[in-house]
Amino acid sequence: MRNKNIQFPVLILIMLTSMLACTKQEYTIPDPVAQLTNDCIKRTIGPSIVSLPLEFAYAMALPKINGKLVSAEVEASIAGASGTYLENRSFYTNSSGVDVPVTVGTPSTTVDKITKVTFSVDTNASTLRYYYVIPEAARGQSVSFTFTANSSDGKKATYKMGPYAISKMSIVKNLAVSNGANAFISIEDMAVYNATAAATNAGKIDLVYLYRATPTTFTHALVSPAADVAYLPGVTLPTGVNRSVKLRKTFGLQDRNLSNLQYGIYVDDIDFQQLDMVDMPNYALGLKAESGVWVETIDKKYRAYIFVNSINAAGTAVISILRYTL
Amino acid sequence: MAKYLKITLSILMISVIIISCKKDSPVDEDGLLITFRQECFVSNFELLGSDFVTVRAATAVIDTVAQTINVTVNPGTDLKNVYPQFTLATDCKLDPKITGKTDLSNLTSPKIYTVVSGNRKIRKPYTLNIKF
Repeated sequence: MRNKNIQFPVLILIMLTSMLACTKQEYTIPDPVAQLTNDCIKRTIGPSIVSLPLEFAYAMALPKINGKLVSAEVEASIAGASGTYLENRSFYTNSSGVDVPVTVGTPSTTVDKITKVTFSVDTNASTLRYYYVIPEAARGQSVSFTFTANSSDGKKATYKMGPYAISKMSIVKNLAVSNGANAFISIEDMAVYNATAAATNAGKIDLVYLYRATPTTFTHALVSPAADVAYLPGVTLPTGVNRSVKLRKTFGLQDRNLSNLQYGIYVDDIDFQQLDMVDMPNYALGLKAESGVWVETIDKKYRAYIFVNSINAAGTAVISILRYTL
Repeated sequence: MAKYLKITLSILMISVIIISCKKDSPVDEDGLLITFRQECFVSNFELLGSDFVTVRAATAVIDTVAQTINVTVNPGTDLKNVYPQFTLATDCKLDPKITGKTDLSNLTSPKIYTVVSGNRKIRKPYTLNIKF
Protein backbone atom coordinates (compact mmCIF):
# COMPACT_ATOMS: atom_id res chain seq x y z
CA MET A 1 0.00 0.00 0.00
CA ARG A 2 2.79 2.36 1.01
CA ASN A 3 4.74 1.50 -2.17
CA LYS A 4 1.81 2.38 -4.39
CA ASN A 5 1.48 5.75 -2.67
CA ILE A 6 5.10 6.55 -3.47
CA GLN A 7 5.16 5.18 -7.01
CA PHE A 8 2.36 7.40 -8.32
CA PRO A 9 3.85 10.79 -7.34
CA VAL A 10 7.28 9.66 -8.65
CA LEU A 11 5.72 8.74 -11.97
CA ILE A 12 4.01 12.13 -12.23
CA LEU A 13 7.27 13.88 -11.34
CA ILE A 14 9.17 12.02 -14.09
CA MET A 15 6.49 12.91 -16.65
CA LEU A 16 6.56 16.57 -15.68
CA THR A 17 10.35 16.66 -15.89
CA SER A 18 10.22 15.08 -19.35
CA MET A 19 7.70 17.64 -20.54
CA LEU A 20 9.71 20.53 -19.20
CA ALA A 21 12.88 19.21 -20.75
CA CYS A 22 11.22 19.13 -24.15
CA THR A 23 10.02 22.72 -24.07
CA LYS A 24 11.00 24.44 -27.28
CA GLN A 25 12.98 27.60 -26.75
CA GLU A 26 11.95 30.34 -29.11
CA TYR A 27 14.62 31.70 -31.44
CA THR A 28 15.31 35.34 -31.00
CA ILE A 29 16.77 37.43 -33.76
CA PRO A 30 20.09 38.83 -32.59
CA ASP A 31 20.43 42.57 -32.31
CA PRO A 32 21.84 44.11 -35.47
CA VAL A 33 25.31 45.55 -35.20
CA ALA A 34 24.84 49.17 -34.22
CA GLN A 35 28.43 50.37 -34.31
CA LEU A 36 31.78 49.95 -36.00
CA THR A 37 32.92 46.33 -35.73
CA ASN A 38 35.82 44.35 -37.13
CA ASP A 39 37.15 40.84 -37.58
CA CYS A 40 40.34 39.27 -38.83
CA ILE A 41 41.67 35.93 -40.04
CA LYS A 42 45.21 34.78 -40.74
CA ARG A 43 45.35 33.36 -44.26
CA THR A 44 48.89 32.01 -44.21
CA ILE A 45 49.37 28.52 -42.87
CA GLY A 46 52.61 26.69 -42.20
CA PRO A 47 55.72 27.96 -40.48
CA SER A 48 56.49 31.69 -40.41
CA ILE A 49 59.84 32.08 -42.15
CA VAL A 50 61.96 35.22 -42.33
CA SER A 51 61.63 36.91 -45.75
CA LEU A 52 58.27 35.26 -46.50
CA PRO A 53 54.97 37.14 -45.99
CA LEU A 54 52.26 36.52 -43.43
CA GLU A 55 48.87 37.28 -44.95
CA PHE A 56 45.80 38.47 -43.06
CA ALA A 57 42.31 39.50 -44.15
CA TYR A 58 40.93 42.34 -42.02
CA ALA A 59 37.22 43.07 -42.28
CA MET A 60 35.50 46.15 -40.89
CA ALA A 61 31.95 47.54 -41.17
CA LEU A 62 29.50 49.92 -39.58
CA PRO A 63 25.79 50.68 -40.20
CA LYS A 64 25.30 53.09 -43.07
CA ILE A 65 23.44 55.59 -40.89
CA ASN A 66 26.48 55.88 -38.62
CA GLY A 67 28.79 57.10 -41.38
CA LYS A 68 31.63 55.64 -43.42
CA LEU A 69 35.04 54.09 -42.98
CA VAL A 70 37.86 56.62 -42.73
CA SER A 71 41.03 54.61 -42.29
CA ALA A 72 42.49 51.23 -41.37
CA GLU A 73 45.86 50.52 -39.89
CA VAL A 74 47.95 47.66 -38.57
CA GLU A 75 50.61 47.88 -35.92
CA ALA A 76 53.11 45.02 -35.77
CA SER A 77 55.12 44.36 -32.62
CA ILE A 78 58.24 44.17 -34.81
CA ALA A 79 58.47 46.40 -37.87
CA GLY A 80 57.95 44.43 -41.08
CA ALA A 81 60.60 44.10 -43.76
CA SER A 82 60.51 45.88 -47.09
CA GLY A 83 57.42 44.81 -49.01
CA THR A 84 55.06 44.96 -46.03
CA TYR A 85 51.78 46.58 -47.03
CA LEU A 86 48.07 46.83 -46.40
CA GLU A 87 45.91 46.44 -49.50
CA ASN A 88 44.08 49.55 -50.63
CA ARG A 89 41.74 47.36 -52.63
CA SER A 90 38.83 45.24 -51.52
CA PHE A 91 38.09 42.04 -53.48
CA TYR A 92 34.94 40.29 -54.58
CA THR A 93 34.70 36.99 -56.40
CA ASN A 94 33.00 37.10 -59.80
CA SER A 95 30.95 34.36 -61.41
CA SER A 96 34.10 32.79 -62.87
CA GLY A 97 35.64 32.45 -59.42
CA VAL A 98 38.15 35.20 -60.01
CA ASP A 99 38.91 37.71 -57.27
CA VAL A 100 38.23 41.15 -58.69
CA PRO A 101 39.78 44.16 -56.94
CA VAL A 102 37.95 47.40 -56.17
CA THR A 103 40.12 50.30 -55.08
CA VAL A 104 38.79 51.75 -51.84
CA GLY A 105 41.70 53.79 -50.55
CA THR A 106 45.07 55.32 -51.17
CA PRO A 107 48.09 52.97 -51.29
CA SER A 108 49.27 52.13 -47.82
CA THR A 109 52.08 53.95 -46.09
CA THR A 110 54.32 52.27 -43.56
CA VAL A 111 56.07 54.22 -40.83
CA ASP A 112 58.12 52.01 -38.53
CA LYS A 113 55.67 49.45 -37.14
CA ILE A 114 52.45 51.00 -38.46
CA THR A 115 50.98 50.45 -41.90
CA LYS A 116 47.97 52.60 -42.79
CA VAL A 117 45.38 52.98 -45.54
CA THR A 118 43.08 55.99 -45.81
CA PHE A 119 39.77 55.31 -47.51
CA SER A 120 39.11 57.38 -50.63
CA VAL A 121 35.60 56.13 -51.39
CA ASP A 122 32.37 56.35 -49.44
CA THR A 123 32.05 52.84 -48.05
CA ASN A 124 30.80 51.41 -44.80
CA ALA A 125 32.18 47.88 -45.20
CA SER A 126 35.47 46.58 -46.48
CA THR A 127 37.95 43.73 -46.19
CA LEU A 128 41.59 44.59 -46.67
CA ARG A 129 44.45 42.15 -46.91
CA TYR A 130 47.63 42.74 -44.98
CA TYR A 131 50.98 41.32 -46.05
CA TYR A 132 53.65 41.37 -43.39
CA VAL A 133 57.08 40.43 -44.69
CA ILE A 134 58.89 38.82 -41.77
CA PRO A 135 62.07 40.76 -40.99
CA GLU A 136 65.40 39.34 -39.88
CA ALA A 137 64.87 41.01 -36.49
CA ALA A 138 61.95 38.67 -35.82
CA ARG A 139 63.87 35.41 -36.31
CA GLY A 140 63.23 33.11 -33.36
CA GLN A 141 60.96 35.74 -31.75
CA SER A 142 57.20 36.05 -31.71
CA VAL A 143 55.26 38.79 -33.42
CA SER A 144 51.73 40.08 -32.83
CA PHE A 145 49.50 42.56 -34.62
CA THR A 146 46.87 45.14 -33.70
CA PHE A 147 44.39 45.95 -36.46
CA THR A 148 42.45 49.20 -36.10
CA ALA A 149 39.57 50.67 -38.09
CA ASN A 150 38.36 54.29 -37.79
CA SER A 151 34.97 55.54 -38.90
CA SER A 152 33.61 59.01 -39.66
CA ASP A 153 31.50 59.03 -36.47
CA GLY A 154 34.72 59.07 -34.47
CA LYS A 155 34.52 55.46 -33.40
CA LYS A 156 37.45 53.05 -33.37
CA ALA A 157 37.51 49.24 -33.47
CA THR A 158 40.58 47.14 -32.77
CA TYR A 159 41.41 43.47 -33.23
CA LYS A 160 44.50 41.74 -31.88
CA MET A 161 46.15 38.83 -33.68
CA GLY A 162 48.98 36.65 -32.46
CA PRO A 163 51.48 36.23 -31.03
CA TYR A 164 52.96 34.08 -33.79
CA ALA A 165 56.26 32.27 -33.35
CA ILE A 166 58.76 33.07 -36.09
CA SER A 167 60.84 30.15 -37.28
CA LYS A 168 64.60 29.98 -36.98
CA MET A 169 64.75 28.66 -40.53
CA SER A 170 66.14 30.50 -43.54
CA ILE A 171 64.99 29.87 -47.06
CA VAL A 172 66.52 30.24 -50.51
CA LYS A 173 64.62 29.11 -53.56
CA ASN A 174 65.45 28.08 -57.11
CA LEU A 175 69.23 27.88 -57.18
CA ALA A 176 70.54 26.58 -60.48
CA VAL A 177 73.33 24.01 -60.23
CA SER A 178 75.24 22.49 -63.12
CA ASN A 179 77.72 19.70 -63.47
CA GLY A 180 81.29 21.00 -63.60
CA ALA A 181 80.29 24.67 -63.45
CA ASN A 182 78.05 26.05 -60.70
CA ALA A 183 78.51 22.90 -58.70
CA PHE A 184 79.75 23.94 -55.26
CA ILE A 185 77.11 24.46 -52.59
CA SER A 186 77.58 26.28 -49.31
CA ILE A 187 75.04 25.65 -46.55
CA GLU A 188 76.41 28.55 -44.49
CA ASP A 189 75.97 31.01 -47.36
CA MET A 190 72.98 29.18 -48.85
CA ALA A 191 74.56 29.79 -52.22
CA VAL A 192 76.03 28.01 -55.22
CA TYR A 193 79.53 28.80 -56.47
CA ASN A 194 81.66 27.94 -59.47
CA ALA A 195 85.17 26.55 -59.01
CA THR A 196 86.83 29.97 -58.84
CA ALA A 197 84.43 31.33 -56.24
CA ALA A 198 84.56 28.03 -54.37
CA ALA A 199 88.32 28.35 -54.03
CA THR A 200 87.93 31.71 -52.34
CA ASN A 201 85.16 30.33 -50.07
CA ALA A 202 86.76 26.93 -49.56
CA GLY A 203 85.94 26.75 -45.86
CA LYS A 204 82.24 27.12 -46.56
CA ILE A 205 81.78 24.57 -49.35
CA ASP A 206 79.77 21.60 -48.06
CA LEU A 207 78.57 19.85 -51.18
CA VAL A 208 79.41 19.22 -54.80
CA TYR A 209 76.67 18.69 -57.35
CA LEU A 210 77.56 16.28 -60.11
CA TYR A 211 75.84 14.32 -62.83
CA ARG A 212 77.01 11.03 -64.32
CA ALA A 213 74.88 9.15 -66.83
CA THR A 214 76.59 5.89 -65.88
CA PRO A 215 76.05 3.97 -63.76
CA THR A 216 72.37 4.60 -64.30
CA THR A 217 71.76 4.79 -60.57
CA PHE A 218 74.28 7.62 -60.12
CA THR A 219 72.74 10.40 -62.26
CA HIS A 220 72.21 13.55 -60.15
CA ALA A 221 74.18 13.53 -56.93
CA LEU A 222 75.17 15.70 -53.98
CA VAL A 223 78.48 14.61 -52.56
CA SER A 224 80.66 15.98 -49.78
CA PRO A 225 84.11 17.10 -50.89
CA ALA A 226 85.53 14.72 -48.26
CA ALA A 227 83.62 11.70 -49.57
CA ASP A 228 85.34 8.68 -51.07
CA VAL A 229 86.72 9.48 -54.53
CA ALA A 230 84.49 6.73 -55.92
CA TYR A 231 81.59 9.14 -55.43
CA LEU A 232 83.44 12.05 -57.07
CA PRO A 233 84.47 10.48 -60.38
CA GLY A 234 86.44 12.88 -62.53
CA VAL A 235 85.97 15.78 -60.12
CA THR A 236 88.89 18.06 -59.38
CA LEU A 237 88.18 19.93 -56.19
CA PRO A 238 89.37 23.53 -55.81
CA THR A 239 92.17 23.99 -53.33
CA GLY A 240 91.01 23.83 -49.75
CA VAL A 241 87.56 22.40 -50.52
CA ASN A 242 87.53 19.41 -48.17
CA ARG A 243 84.56 19.61 -45.81
CA SER A 244 82.18 16.76 -45.05
CA VAL A 245 78.46 16.72 -44.26
CA LYS A 246 75.98 14.02 -43.35
CA LEU A 247 73.27 13.44 -45.89
CA ARG A 248 69.98 11.60 -45.72
CA LYS A 249 67.92 11.08 -48.85
CA THR A 250 64.18 11.41 -48.67
CA PHE A 251 61.36 11.15 -51.15
CA GLY A 252 57.83 12.51 -51.09
CA LEU A 253 58.62 15.50 -48.88
CA GLN A 254 57.65 18.38 -51.16
CA ASP A 255 57.70 21.35 -48.84
CA ARG A 256 55.15 23.93 -49.99
CA ASN A 257 57.53 26.86 -49.79
CA LEU A 258 60.40 25.08 -51.50
CA SER A 259 58.20 23.64 -54.23
CA ASN A 260 56.86 27.07 -55.17
CA LEU A 261 53.48 26.60 -53.47
CA GLN A 262 52.61 23.34 -55.20
CA TYR A 263 51.98 21.01 -52.25
CA GLY A 264 50.48 21.13 -48.78
CA ILE A 265 53.44 19.78 -46.81
CA TYR A 266 55.61 21.95 -44.57
CA VAL A 267 59.05 21.36 -43.11
CA ASP A 268 59.17 23.10 -39.74
CA ASP A 269 61.68 23.79 -36.97
CA ILE A 270 60.67 20.65 -35.10
CA ASP A 271 61.64 18.47 -38.07
CA PHE A 272 65.20 19.74 -37.85
CA GLN A 273 65.24 19.43 -34.07
CA GLN A 274 64.17 15.79 -34.15
CA LEU A 275 66.15 14.74 -37.21
CA ASP A 276 68.22 11.58 -36.73
CA MET A 277 71.45 11.93 -38.67
CA VAL A 278 73.46 9.31 -36.80
CA ASP A 279 75.56 7.11 -39.11
CA MET A 280 74.37 8.87 -42.25
CA PRO A 281 76.70 8.85 -45.27
CA ASN A 282 78.39 11.89 -46.80
CA TYR A 283 76.97 11.39 -50.28
CA ALA A 284 73.55 11.09 -51.91
CA LEU A 285 73.33 9.53 -55.35
CA GLY A 286 70.45 9.06 -57.76
CA LEU A 287 68.48 12.17 -56.85
CA LYS A 288 65.22 12.62 -58.70
CA ALA A 289 62.99 15.59 -59.30
CA GLU A 290 61.01 16.45 -56.15
CA SER A 291 63.22 14.33 -53.96
CA GLY A 292 65.18 15.87 -51.13
CA VAL A 293 68.20 15.53 -48.91
CA TRP A 294 68.54 16.31 -45.21
CA VAL A 295 71.93 17.77 -44.43
CA GLU A 296 73.90 18.21 -41.23
CA THR A 297 77.18 20.09 -41.37
CA ILE A 298 80.14 18.42 -39.76
CA ASP A 299 80.49 21.20 -37.16
CA LYS A 300 76.81 20.63 -36.27
CA LYS A 301 76.19 24.32 -36.78
CA TYR A 302 73.49 23.87 -39.40
CA ARG A 303 70.91 21.41 -40.52
CA ALA A 304 69.28 21.91 -43.88
CA TYR A 305 66.78 20.40 -46.25
CA ILE A 306 67.69 20.60 -49.92
CA PHE A 307 64.75 20.08 -52.25
CA VAL A 308 65.32 19.18 -55.89
CA ASN A 309 62.84 21.29 -57.84
CA SER A 310 63.80 19.92 -61.24
CA ILE A 311 66.51 17.97 -63.01
CA ASN A 312 67.80 17.90 -66.53
CA ALA A 313 69.61 15.03 -68.21
CA ALA A 314 72.13 17.53 -69.57
CA GLY A 315 73.53 17.69 -66.04
CA THR A 316 71.72 20.59 -64.48
CA ALA A 317 69.22 20.90 -61.69
CA VAL A 318 67.32 23.50 -59.71
CA ILE A 319 67.42 23.19 -55.95
CA SER A 320 65.92 25.07 -53.00
CA ILE A 321 67.25 25.13 -49.45
CA LEU A 322 65.69 25.44 -46.00
CA ARG A 323 68.35 25.90 -43.34
CA TYR A 324 68.05 25.66 -39.57
CA THR A 325 70.75 26.96 -37.25
CA LEU A 326 71.38 24.57 -34.38
CA MET B 1 11.66 -22.86 -3.03
CA ALA B 2 13.05 -19.36 -3.65
CA LYS B 3 16.25 -20.38 -1.88
CA TYR B 4 16.77 -23.30 -4.31
CA LEU B 5 16.04 -21.01 -7.23
CA LYS B 6 18.69 -18.52 -6.06
CA ILE B 7 21.31 -21.26 -5.63
CA THR B 8 20.56 -22.65 -9.07
CA LEU B 9 20.80 -19.21 -10.69
CA SER B 10 24.08 -18.46 -8.89
CA ILE B 11 25.65 -21.71 -10.10
CA LEU B 12 24.44 -20.98 -13.62
CA MET B 13 25.95 -17.47 -13.60
CA ILE B 14 29.30 -18.67 -12.27
CA SER B 15 29.37 -21.40 -14.95
CA VAL B 16 28.69 -18.83 -17.68
CA ILE B 17 31.46 -16.60 -16.37
CA ILE B 18 33.96 -19.46 -16.23
CA ILE B 19 33.07 -20.62 -19.73
CA SER B 20 33.24 -17.11 -21.18
CA CYS B 21 36.69 -16.54 -19.70
CA LYS B 22 38.15 -19.74 -21.04
CA LYS B 23 41.12 -19.13 -23.28
CA ASP B 24 40.35 -20.93 -26.51
CA SER B 25 43.05 -19.53 -28.85
CA PRO B 26 46.69 -19.72 -27.76
CA VAL B 27 48.93 -16.75 -28.46
CA ASP B 28 52.70 -16.49 -28.37
CA GLU B 29 54.91 -14.09 -26.40
CA ASP B 30 54.24 -11.36 -28.98
CA GLY B 31 50.49 -11.73 -28.64
CA LEU B 32 50.27 -13.34 -32.08
CA LEU B 33 47.91 -16.23 -32.72
CA ILE B 34 49.53 -19.68 -32.74
CA THR B 35 47.91 -21.64 -35.52
CA PHE B 36 48.19 -25.14 -36.92
CA ARG B 37 50.19 -24.07 -40.00
CA GLN B 38 53.55 -25.67 -40.65
CA GLU B 39 54.58 -23.64 -43.71
CA CYS B 40 57.84 -21.85 -43.01
CA PHE B 41 59.51 -19.87 -45.79
CA VAL B 42 60.31 -16.44 -47.21
CA SER B 43 58.25 -15.67 -50.30
CA ASN B 44 59.55 -12.20 -51.15
CA PHE B 45 62.26 -9.80 -50.07
CA GLU B 46 62.66 -6.06 -50.52
CA LEU B 47 65.39 -3.67 -49.42
CA LEU B 48 64.62 0.04 -49.08
CA GLY B 49 66.99 2.96 -48.63
CA SER B 50 66.59 5.86 -46.21
CA ASP B 51 64.19 7.46 -48.69
CA PHE B 52 62.08 4.27 -48.67
CA VAL B 53 62.87 3.67 -52.33
CA THR B 54 64.25 0.29 -53.32
CA VAL B 55 68.03 -0.08 -53.48
CA ARG B 56 67.90 -3.44 -55.27
CA ALA B 57 69.57 -3.62 -58.66
CA ALA B 58 67.63 -6.82 -59.44
CA THR B 59 64.96 -9.05 -57.92
CA ALA B 60 66.17 -10.83 -54.80
CA VAL B 61 66.89 -14.54 -55.32
CA ILE B 62 65.32 -16.61 -52.55
CA ASP B 63 66.42 -20.23 -52.19
CA THR B 64 64.03 -21.93 -49.79
CA VAL B 65 66.08 -25.15 -49.81
CA ALA B 66 69.46 -23.59 -49.11
CA GLN B 67 67.66 -20.97 -47.02
CA THR B 68 69.46 -18.02 -48.53
CA ILE B 69 68.43 -14.65 -49.89
CA ASN B 70 70.83 -13.14 -52.41
CA VAL B 71 70.40 -9.46 -53.21
CA THR B 72 72.38 -7.23 -55.55
CA VAL B 73 72.14 -3.56 -54.61
CA ASN B 74 72.81 -0.38 -56.55
CA PRO B 75 76.36 1.02 -56.52
CA GLY B 76 76.81 3.50 -53.71
CA THR B 77 73.97 2.14 -51.57
CA ASP B 78 74.44 3.13 -47.94
CA LEU B 79 73.94 -0.25 -46.28
CA LYS B 80 74.18 1.23 -42.80
CA ASN B 81 70.76 2.76 -43.22
CA VAL B 82 68.43 0.35 -44.96
CA TYR B 83 65.03 -1.13 -44.28
CA PRO B 84 64.71 -4.86 -45.11
CA GLN B 85 61.20 -6.16 -45.77
CA PHE B 86 60.36 -9.87 -45.69
CA THR B 87 57.18 -11.44 -46.99
CA LEU B 88 56.58 -14.71 -45.13
CA ALA B 89 54.28 -17.71 -45.44
CA THR B 90 50.90 -17.32 -43.71
CA ASP B 91 51.07 -16.97 -39.90
CA CYS B 92 54.88 -17.03 -39.83
CA LYS B 93 56.97 -14.49 -37.98
CA LEU B 94 60.58 -13.32 -38.14
CA ASP B 95 63.31 -13.50 -35.54
CA PRO B 96 64.95 -11.05 -34.92
CA LYS B 97 62.18 -8.58 -35.57
CA ILE B 98 62.83 -5.66 -37.91
CA THR B 99 61.89 -2.56 -35.98
CA GLY B 100 63.32 0.11 -38.27
CA LYS B 101 66.58 1.23 -39.78
CA THR B 102 69.00 -1.71 -40.05
CA ASP B 103 72.76 -1.85 -40.53
CA LEU B 104 73.65 -4.46 -43.16
CA SER B 105 77.04 -2.98 -44.02
CA ASN B 106 79.09 -5.92 -42.74
CA LEU B 107 79.18 -7.93 -45.94
CA THR B 108 81.70 -10.47 -44.62
CA SER B 109 79.32 -11.53 -41.87
CA PRO B 110 75.85 -11.78 -43.44
CA LYS B 111 72.87 -11.38 -41.15
CA ILE B 112 70.70 -14.39 -40.42
CA TYR B 113 66.96 -14.03 -40.02
CA THR B 114 64.94 -16.98 -38.72
CA VAL B 115 61.44 -17.67 -40.01
CA VAL B 116 59.15 -19.25 -37.41
CA SER B 117 56.12 -21.21 -38.62
CA GLY B 118 52.51 -20.50 -37.64
CA ASN B 119 52.48 -23.37 -35.13
CA ARG B 120 55.76 -21.99 -33.71
CA LYS B 121 57.38 -25.44 -33.92
CA ILE B 122 59.49 -25.02 -37.07
CA ARG B 123 62.34 -22.50 -37.31
CA LYS B 124 64.28 -21.91 -40.52
CA PRO B 125 67.28 -19.56 -40.55
CA TYR B 126 67.77 -17.60 -43.78
CA THR B 127 71.12 -16.04 -44.60
CA LEU B 128 70.89 -12.60 -46.19
CA ASN B 129 73.72 -12.17 -48.70
CA ILE B 130 74.16 -8.69 -50.15
CA LYS B 131 76.54 -7.70 -52.90
CA PHE B 132 77.11 -4.67 -55.09
